[in-house]
Amino acid sequence: MTAFMPKINRFTLAFGVALAMSAIGAAKAEDGEYGVLMKTLANPFWGAMAQGVADGAKEAGVKYFQQAAESDQAAEPQLNLCNTMLERKPVAMITAAINSTNLLPCLKSAQDAGIKIVDLDNNLDQAVLDKEGVKVTFHIGSDNVAAGAQGAEYLVSKLGKDAKGPVLVIEGLSGNITGEKRAKGFADKLKELAPGLQIVASLPGDWDRNKSASIATDTLTAHPDLVAIFCANDTMALGAVESIYAGGKGEQVTIIGVDGNVDAVKSIKEGRLNASVAQLPYLVGKQAVENVKKALAGEKVEESVAVPTLVLTKDLIDAGKEPMLQYVK
Amino acid sequence: MSSETAQPGFWARVQRTSVERLHIRLESLLVLLGLSAAMALLSPFFLSLSNFLNILLATSTIGVLAIAATFVIGSGGLDLSLGSVMGLAGVMGAFVVVNLGWPSVFLVIVCILAGGIAGYINGQLVTRAFVPAFIVTLGMLGLARGLALVISQGRAIYGLPPEIVYIGQGRPFGIPMPVIIFVLTAIVAHAVLAYTRFGRHTLALGDSEGAARAAGIRVEHHRRIIYTLSGALAGLAGLLFTARVNAGDPTAGINYELTAITAAIIGGTNLFGGRASILGTMIGALIMGVLQNGLTLLAVQSYYQQMAIGAVLILAVFIDQYQVRKESRV
Repeated sequence: MTAFMPKINRFTLAFGVALAMSAIGAAKAEDGEYGVLMKTLANPFWGAMAQGVADGAKEAGVKYFQQAAESDQAAEPQLNLCNTMLERKPVAMITAAINSTNLLPCLKSAQDAGIKIVDLDNNLDQAVLDKEGVKVTFHIGSDNVAAGAQGAEYLVSKLGKDAKGPVLVIEGLSGNITGEKRAKGFADKLKELAPGLQIVASLPGDWDRNKSASIATDTLTAHPDLVAIFCANDTMALGAVESIYAGGKGEQVTIIGVDGNVDAVKSIKEGRLNASVAQLPYLVGKQAVENVKKALAGEKVEESVAVPTLVLTKDLIDAGKEPMLQYVK
Repeated sequence: MSSETAQPGFWARVQRTSVERLHIRLESLLVLLGLSAAMALLSPFFLSLSNFLNILLATSTIGVLAIAATFVIGSGGLDLSLGSVMGLAGVMGAFVVVNLGWPSVFLVIVCILAGGIAGYINGQLVTRAFVPAFIVTLGMLGLARGLALVISQGRAIYGLPPEIVYIGQGRPFGIPMPVIIFVLTAIVAHAVLAYTRFGRHTLALGDSEGAARAAGIRVEHHRRIIYTLSGALAGLAGLLFTARVNAGDPTAGINYELTAITAAIIGGTNLFGGRASILGTMIGALIMGVLQNGLTLLAVQSYYQQMAIGAVLILAVFIDQYQVRKESRV
């Protein structure tokens, strides 16, 4: 019996730790609760969106619970999370799928259970959804093609429509739909507005700061008269900015990113990065919750809700008059 | 003569029986049951058949990889390429069926074959080139992942034939197919490791390579088989994953090898070989599965979930080592 005692104690310890871990942030399920499934919060973009969801839910007076995968490549773990979340019987699932297919089995079950499905940030492919027979209540997110086009509009407004010279486009990860749309939106609009500005290279920077910096350096070597660089996100734009400044061409090359993240805003304020097309993820999260509430109340919601984007420049930030600036987080 | 020495206490008898017959440590089973009880108390959604199946479904790919890890680690080896090989196998299988239009059955064959070949290469390099297993399989981790990205050009190969999707999403008798395949694999693997000569040789190898050689075991040959088996199981996991998400995803299985090794260690496998049990590993995998599932049901953020799993790993090995030291003192 005495030998038995320490064993009990060790297990009490084990359960104690497990229980303590479980108790952190533990919550009971509520009626009419929304499930929110993010990609990963280890990225300021998703952090801002989560903040928008939180504020939106508070304003709308709805309960929600949120989960996120450990990284933006954890496709199967995210599917597991989704299945588990269904056990709490939410009335709606607001999902930002890691890719266009990984959550499909879970979304099908959700649909069968009469749960409303929302595609956050346009990660689901309508063609695939149709094929699988999954009906999404609405898609919500920024229009990435429009964001790219806005980048081109900014460039032309700065350089004039008769401007000439080589332009570099740094794309996202090859095959990533978001990056493709931004790059295409930029290229098409630029061709339309200022045909003299020639895209001499369009290369994948894999969302990577370092890779993008190398591409910018190499392109500058090949085209010393480079006039502009458009990057499919801010991380890459910030990489490009540093190498262009290091090459002493900071004044000559206009650099534009997309996202409007904290670091980009800082760089714009310092006068280094020229502009970023802000996606306002905060607003996406907030409006997602608001629209779900409407849909649940039986009101009509557009099948595709486009949240506006905003071109951030030093003048705009310094003036501080733009009302949408409050959503840049 | 005191009864203490002649007759071991009840607890010790139960433990010895369980260790000898089922090759598991009772502690890990108790942790699993205790954890489940705690989750059931905390969340009204935990105790249901559908949730139980969810846990098994979520554990199935990792579980199959953990079986592979148990054999390799039990033999005194290490396979860090499990997750990457799993990704490569799934991509190759999807490639031949979707892009080349081969019949569906080739997806199954190619997945397991591709995994097996990668494992065989690991085995050859470890036994013939004398490169440490850590380095060989770390190299394979990069090679396989890179090749998967090359073949798929970085994007998932979507749209598999319905009979393949059935392997991942079908539910005969209401039980998800991956769960059925996982449980059957575990039963066979348990029988092989616990009751066959192959299994005894595997553990003998992990215990002492010199002694195994002296006893006439063909050490290198045996190691090659184990690495090939490990790769083939990773291929099977790749098949389950691919069928489940209906796409050959080149990023599938990133870091899965670490989770699989963790499951084996929690289950009582000695990281340096010689002691391993599939049943123990399954309990280890389920501990992690229950923890993840329960914490998700409780809406605990994923960061805390990762912390909880890390804490359980350290705790499990602590308990295990405590027992080992106590036994060696007797």
